[in-house]
Amino acid sequence: MKSLKILAGIMLAVFLAAGPARAQVKIGVYLPLTGQNAFGGQLELDGINLAHQEMPEAIGQKVELVVMDNKSDKVEAANAVQRLIDRDKVVAIIGTYGSSLAMAGGEVAEVAKIPVVGTSCTNPLVTQGKTYYFRACFIDPYQGAGAATYAFNELKAKKAALLIDVSNDYAVGLGAFFKRSFTTLGGEIVTEMKYNSGDQDFTAQLTEINSKQPDVMFIPAYFAEGGIIMKQARELGAKFRIMGGDAMDNPETVSIAGAASEGFIHTSFPYDAGMANMNEQAKAFTGAWRLANPDKEPNVNAALGYASYLMIVKAIEKAGAATPEAITKALAETKDLPTPLGMLTLDSDHNPQMPVGIIEIKDGKRVYLGEVQPE
Amino acid sequence: MKAANPSPISEPHALRNRLSTLGSAALLFLGIWWAGHNLDGYQTRLLNLVAVNAILALSLNFIYGFSGMFSLGHAGFMAIGAYVSALCILTPAQKEMIWLLEPIYEPLAEFMTPFVVSVFLGGLAAALTSLVIALPVMRLGGDYLGIATLGFAEIIRVLFTNLAPITNGAIGLRGIPPYADAWWNYAWLLATLFVILSLLKSNFGNVLKSIRDDEIAARTMGIDTTAYRTMAFCVGGFFAGVGGALMGSLVTTIEPKMFNFQYTFNILLIVVAGGLGSVTGSVVGAAVITILLEWLRIIEYPMDFGFIRIPGIPGMRMVIFSVVLMLIIIFRREGLLGNREFSWNAFYDFFGSLKKRPDVHLGHLLRFLRLVKKLLAGGQP
Repeated sequence: MKSLKILAGIMLAVFLAAGPARAQVKIGVYLPLTGQNAFGGQLELDGINLAHQEMPEAIGQKVELVVMDNKSDKVEAANAVQRLIDRDKVVAIIGTYGSSLAMAGGEVAEVAKIPVVGTSCTNPLVTQGKTYYFRACFIDPYQGAGAATYAFNELKAKKAALLIDVSNDYAVGLGAFFKRSFTTLGGEIVTEMKYNSGDQDFTAQLTEINSKQPDVMFIPAYFAEGGIIMKQARELGAKFRIMGGDAMDNPETVSIAGAASEGFIHTSFPYDAGMANMNEQAKAFTGAWRLANPDKEPNVNAALGYASYLMIVKAIEKAGAATPEAITKALAETKDLPTPLGMLTLDSDHNPQMPVGIIEIKDGKRVYLGEVQPE
Repeated sequence: MKAANPSPISEPHALRNRLSTLGSAALLFLGIWWAGHNLDGYQTRLLNLVAVNAILALSLNFIYGFSGMFSLGHAGFMAIGAYVSALCILTPAQKEMIWLLEPIYEPLAEFMTPFVVSVFLGGLAAALTSLVIALPVMRLGGDYLGIATLGFAEIIRVLFTNLAPITNGAIGLRGIPPYADAWWNYAWLLATLFVILSLLKSNFGNVLKSIRDDEIAARTMGIDTTAYRTMAFCVGGFFAGVGGALMGSLVTTIEPKMFNFQYTFNILLIVVAGGLGSVTGSVVGAAVITILLEWLRIIEYPMDFGFIRIPGIPGMRMVIFSVVLMLIIIFRREGLLGNREFSWNAFYDFFGSLKKRPDVHLGHLLRFLRLVKKLLAGGQP
């Protein structure tokens, strides 16, 4: 049981080491680094760390990142934000992957009046009516409209089918917004089937969808289920195109679905390592990432983390002071900020305006087709 | 507390103990008043979580530890309490904003009640549901009951996911007014303690323990075990609903996914670590586990020893936490307190012995220090 004594010693040392405070800018980060959303949280943290390496200072002061794991759990997310604010005295916070986590954390930050920049929390409710919550990503109604616009205008689809994970807030929201836009454009939703997260067998729903002969099937799923859906759809002889949302933007999509992912199209944020006409920031980000992580491809979540950090540092520089009030004011006025995701301008609801990126899987490789402006 | 059941053996120092209880309750509220002025938001949040977790642990302990029913449906009752209460305190304007996709079920849109009523309604709804569940499953015992109640909790979750006009489906509810401050949480904790302790002290409690220890013997004595077990299940369900309602208001956002079976296990963990069949154990367990989990976050900070810098490893605190739990279970299988309870008599006896023997002051302190050392050394002498 010596190890316990050593552990107690370590804890004491941590206490002592964390003691004296130096003059520096503290930025908090709360992300799901363990639990079911860990894959996304880790990528975003990598992006934030990369941005921190590139820009370690703001207004001449050293920036320190304080990272908190929210375990993909709401109670933990609220605790983490509260701890960042009261214990670590951060002036601004970055986070989080997962809208429901952001809502729990956002409520705490709103009361404490500390600005937060969301990385990939795409639910409109996250920033709606909030003074202190901002985000680097677009929102689900916008993405849903982008996917519908592309399906209707570019794919010339007139009949669409939906296959939605009813137990996932992201899927329910995105699916509903796709439906709304697609019908407004003049298309028809022929059928709407449901499943639950963790399901493995989708043949019943897919057979029903197949019988309705849609031109396109929209699956706002996560890659684990999405990959299996594509596989089973092709095994059942489905001829329609399959489309997904940004949660499918993961290398696993292709490795799970295999050949069935051929021709799969999904919307995403306007960044991709393979995109043509990259802007300066995107080039810089891609280069820096390749240098720092030679074994990992740069990913859009990492780019979002990178952009979130950029937004806060630029806001501090613009405000000329690292106080929560000044940062909040400067963040709200963010306009034409160059980020890896294009020029970023926040609207009055604190949501950025950016085009929706379209990615297609061709020969097992992701191809960035271009961007679409939602109608 | 109740005079309805005069115990055959007259309790010594009854008045003193009763006054002590009232005094410490007053002291608790004085403490909350002090905390409101002196503690930061983070500490207040932890205090609140301790109270809510204690309510949840007490309700599960009442079902499992005192009545011997292995129930894994707690997250289901919590979900019912949380949703009913949230629907009662959300303003009509908020409801209009939250139900983005499907319109809200009309009669609910304007319905509003004060917070205390909403929490009570949440508990009541959970109690009614537990009555409905109890009727078919109370015939089962042991693991079978556990599986049946686990299934029930999953049914509740799936129902809530699909009843979008009432629950807003998977998107859940947001912006629930944060009424659940330390005053409310601790008032509800005291109410829970009062009801559960009164029940346990009464004949009802004795009957429950007799059923727990030997159901067949209890039935032979002419006790309607099913009826008693059903009642105990409903009481536990009521307080689980209350705990869920407070938790919903504390976190301000709920969704069906939050109330998965893992939540039940978190509560079960507090109950078992604190001591099955000990009210004191549940309260102490809730405090220890809630605070330990947060305190362990320091392990995940980057550590700078001057000569070596270790980056923070996310998830490390769960490893340490699990090790601590394993140690508790290996060296104290009965939990921190076993089935012992705090009692004023023991409390005063302890200090009385100190008063009589002034030389013992140091001795007690040394004994306490030795105990801490023993605990640190993992229970080995």
